[in-house]
Amino acid sequence: MQTERLFDRIDSIQFKGVTKKYGSGFAVKDLDLEIEGGELLILIGPSGSGKTTTLRIMNRMIEQDFGSVTINGIDTREVDPVRLRRNMGYVIQNIGLFPHMTIGENIGLVPKLEGWDKKKTEGRVRELLDFVSLPPDMFMNRYPRQLSGGQQQRVGLARAMAMDPPLFLMDEPFGALDPILRKQLQKEFLKIKNEINRTIVFVTHDIEEALILGDRIAIMDQAKLVQMGPPEELIFNPANDLVADIVDTKRKFKHMDTLNVKDLMSPFEQKYVFEGKMNACDAVEEMANRDIETAFVFDGDELLGQVTMMDLMKCRMKSQNLADVARPVRTFQPLDSVAVALSELKKNGEYLAIVMNSKHPIGILISDEVLLKLI
Amino acid sequence: MLTIQDIAGVWDKHLMTMRTIEHLQMFSVALLLSIIIGVTVGVFIYMKPKTANPVLNFLNIVETIPDLALIVLLLPILKLGAGPTIAACVLYSILPIARNTYTGLRGVDEQYTCVARAIGLSRSEALFKVRIPLSLPLIAGGIRIALVFCMGVVTLGGLVAAGGLGTVLQNGIQLYDKEAIIVAGLWTGLLAVLLDGFAGIIEKKLHERYGTW
Repeated sequence: MQTERLFDRIDSIQFKGVTKKYGSGFAVKDLDLEIEGGELLILIGPSGSGKTTTLRIMNRMIEQDFGSVTINGIDTREVDPVRLRRNMGYVIQNIGLFPHMTIGENIGLVPKLEGWDKKKTEGRVRELLDFVSLPPDMFMNRYPRQLSGGQQQRVGLARAMAMDPPLFLMDEPFGALDPILRKQLQKEFLKIKNEINRTIVFVTHDIEEALILGDRIAIMDQAKLVQMGPPEELIFNPANDLVADIVDTKRKFKHMDTLNVKDLMSPFEQKYVFEGKMNACDAVEEMANRDIETAFVFDGDELLGQVTMMDLMKCRMKSQNLADVARPVRTFQPLDSVAVALSELKKNGEYLAIVMNSKHPIGILISDEVLLKLI
Repeated sequence: MLTIQDIAGVWDKHLMTMRTIEHLQMFSVALLLSIIIGVTVGVFIYMKPKTANPVLNFLNIVETIPDLALIVLLLPILKLGAGPTIAACVLYSILPIARNTYTGLRGVDEQYTCVARAIGLSRSEALFKVRIPLSLPLIAGGIRIALVFCMGVVTLGGLVAAGGLGTVLQNGIQLYDKEAIIVAGLWTGLLAVLLDGFAGIIEKKLHERYGTW
């Protein structure tokens, strides 16, 4: 059966008052959720919290009792479920590669059903196997049972990507793998995620995975959405004890108050230093040469502020030099508390600061990196 | 003690080459029809689960009718010859094939059917691409049972002028030709064992190819 493409990219997915009853209880209760196009949203929560149900409502594997889910303004219930699902990549924990088909047939199944000819299908299969780092000639004709768990999971990912869907639904895709392999696949997945630049909804119960992969994290409990936001928001402003418990604030960040800025900063490098006298347009070129996006402007020893590549590209006046366009940058002392520093950054919507030892810059504090170092 | 010459004599006298061909012809036609009908019935009762119990119960009843009685009952409808024998074979064989097909289709591991749905296979695509292939080992098991049934029933056909090796046995009994009874009996048995062994090999191959561990 040939199906039409529903959407080339996702602008937004909206859950409005979505409820799914399950016997006398609720699997999902009155859920409002907005997923932005291009983001990776993590759904996390204890088992039975409704995260998988939420995922499956999106591709109509489960139909809600009340409420609506709209993708780019289209109500999913108005779309044929088969067509809807072919516009979404789906990956699950136990992978479910069909044991009677070769790897090539598994990946090429939906393209074949869509009426692609043999050559086009094979080309696509090869391309995808390459993409997930499995040499096509070696793997195409093998059967799933001849592959290791990690290899099977890669094939599962390739199969989900076969029709180049704008949206991926992933249900604990790395859950069944051993911890080392899981880390490795997560790392590769991050790379892939940045390359394909798609909207991804990702269910997990592993908070580390959530913090590493997620642009935003939605925490669910007892069929309800408890809190949703970027990782740092959940860590520093948990809505309740459950959120704090899940992000493990108590255990992991117990020592936060005793940690200093110098423990978690990245070392300052000379390449970030630009002279205030420098012409702004020349600076763009120089930053590209040094392969940096942000620079710090000094006048001798005095810190004037920061400039980003983006700011400089906007400025058109030839006569401007860096001292004119530099924006103030926050500074901290090496012995300042990390917790205080991070919440100050967050309050002002900034993500980096310079660490000064009296007059000399010795490090850069980047909020995202601090979080990764903590976990 | 039977010598090679005795056997050759019986073989020629009773036209056993021809009888064997007749026998295998009836058998193949019957088995082929049984597979087509049996698998179709199995798929049908899987698609319409409410019909499963009545249909299987009905086939069970058919199964309890003694084979000789069934052939005789079919005589007035299908006249003398191969017809009643083939029909009886089919009636007996539908149950094991349909039941195994039905059990196989229902028993396909949920992880595969769930994924099939999730990646966007329609119901019929999931049936033909996933469920039926994964049920093949069990369907083959049903066909193997049917095969043994059919060998027996086809032999009985000799009683109603259907031809085949049953005719040789029938003649042997009427003429009290002990040698003919022994030779035809052993040969019929050997054929059944060979065919069953052959079916067993196919079943094993299907298990290797489509079985899930």
